[in-house]
Order: sequence, then C-alpha cells, then structure tokens
Amino acid sequence: MNDTLLWYTTRGAGAVSLVLLSAVVVLGILSVLRVQSPSWPRFLTVGLHRNLALMTLVFLALHIVTAVVDPFTHLGWLAAVIPFSSYYRTFWLGLGTIAFELLLAVVLTSLVRGLIGQVAWRLVHWLTYACWPFAVLHGVGTGTDAWSAWLFTLQAICVVAVLAATGYRLLAGSRDPLARERSSFLAAVDRREQR
Amino acid sequence: MAFRGGDDTYTMEPKDTIQDRVRARDAAMRLLNRLTAGAAVSAVVGVGLLGAIGALTIPGTPSTAATTTSTATSSTSSSSSSGLQASSSPVSSSSSSGVAVSGGS
Repeated sequence: MNDTLLWYTTRGAGAVSLVLLSAVVVLGILSVLRVQSPSWPRFLTVGLHRNLALMTLVFLALHIVTAVVDPFTHLGWLAAVIPFSSYYRTFWLGLGTIAFELLLAVVLTSLVRGLIGQVAWRLVHWLTYACWPFAVLHGVGTGTDAWSAWLFTLQAICVVAVLAATGYRLLAGSRDPLARERSSFLAAVDRREQR
Repeated sequence: MAFRGGDDTYTMEPKDTIQDRVRARDAAMRLLNRLTAGAAVSAVVGVGLLGAIGALTIPGTPSTAATTTSTATSSTSSSSSSGLQASSSPVSSSSSSGVAVSGGS
C-alpha cells in the first residue's frame, strides 16, 4: 500500500477517533443525568453511547494499525502495547497507548458487566475520565496536524463539549430516581427511632 | 379500566397506552439504528475527508523522505566500506594531446 496513503489514513482515523470518543463521553454523562424527552427516551442515549464506544474502538484500531504498518514511522507493535516504549515522540505516543488501553478496559468490562458486578464495572468506568484527556494530549503532542486550523477547531469543539457536559453533571449532581423515596424512608426511620 | 363481555376482556385506556409505548419504543429503536448507521458512515467519510484535508494542509511525502534517507544511508555505508567516494559527474574522455614529462626519477 502507498506509504503516503497510510500516513493520511492514520491522521484522519486519529481525528475521527477523538471526535467519537468525545461523543461517547458526552453521551455517557447525559445517560447518567437521565436526560430524556418523549421523542428521545433514555435507552436511546444509552444505546448510542454503547454503539459509538464500540465504533471508537474500530477506528482506533484503524489508527493504530495504519500507524504501525507505515514503513516511514517504524513504530513497531511493541509501541502500540507498551506505553513509552517508542523511540518516536516517546512521551506523547505513550499517552496515546495508555488512552487506548484504558478505553479497551472500559469497553471490555462493560461487555462482561453481568459477570464482574456493578461496583467493579463502575470503578473501571471512572477511568474514562482519565482516558479522554490522555487521548486529547496525545493528539496535541503527537499529531502532525495538531496546530492546523481544522484540527485545532475540531479539538476545541471536543474539549468544550466534554467540559460543558462534565460541568453540567457536577452542578446538577446525581439524579437518582429513587432519591425522594429513599430520603422519605430514612426520614420515617429517624422519626420512628426518636419515639 | 377494563370490562368483560362474554369471553373477551376489553381494556380501554391501558391497551392504548401499551400500544403507544410499544410504538414509541419501536420508533426509538429505528432512530437508534439510523443514528448508529449514520455515525458509522460519517466516521468512514470523516477519515477520508480529514485525511484529504490533512494532505492538503501538510502534504508530507513520507515515502519520498524515506527514499532520500535510505539513499543517503547506503551512500554513506558504501563510501565507508571502500574508502572511496564515487564521482557524481560522468567520466569523460579528453581529446587533447598528451604531455610527456622527462627527467623524473
């Protein structure tokens, strides 16, 4: 295959993976916030979150494979698996390796959620908040086009979207559907104990 | 609200509500499938489009650079092994007459 085509595919797939990953993070936050409307039920957010997460892995695989087999970079398969083992932009490429492995862990544990239990799944799922910044930093540090206007704009949109969703989640707090029932039950227990 | 008429049980509002919910769920599932397919197609197109934009903005030619690098490497290695460096200009024959030098020891 043409080396130049591989290089352009690596860059394109990397940018698309970042957009998809950002969309997955935003949808995940929206599903926690239980955002819904009559035309947009909550399972739609959850389903889209799951499908886009799997799609992100596919495009990340394309990004990694085209980068590794590109004879110009000579990255080697070890650099795709072991963080900070690449001779080429060691630190920034290592961040990308970590981000990929974190995402892989998050997706795999989601697929076997029934086996590992809710608590373990949730703990691993929190790693997404580490995975996404690593991916963004990897793009900024390693990306050939990082400071090109088009990729800079794309990255800025992703960062603003994720930060806005995260900020909204922090401000909105937990939307537990049983919160009212739980608090009234606890209040009733307190009243009974005080008698 | 339900009432029995003969062997059949008729429901009024609940039946409609269930059918509405089933219909809404089916519509949402269709929307999910359409959105997923749309995202997949957009992502594939995006790889091509962003790759093309990248090629236009930074039109690197890694294959050319790699060829240049390998040529330089092979040239260096051949010169170091033989100790001589080949001339880049072709060898040409001279048409001028020869000069005899005498008295040398």
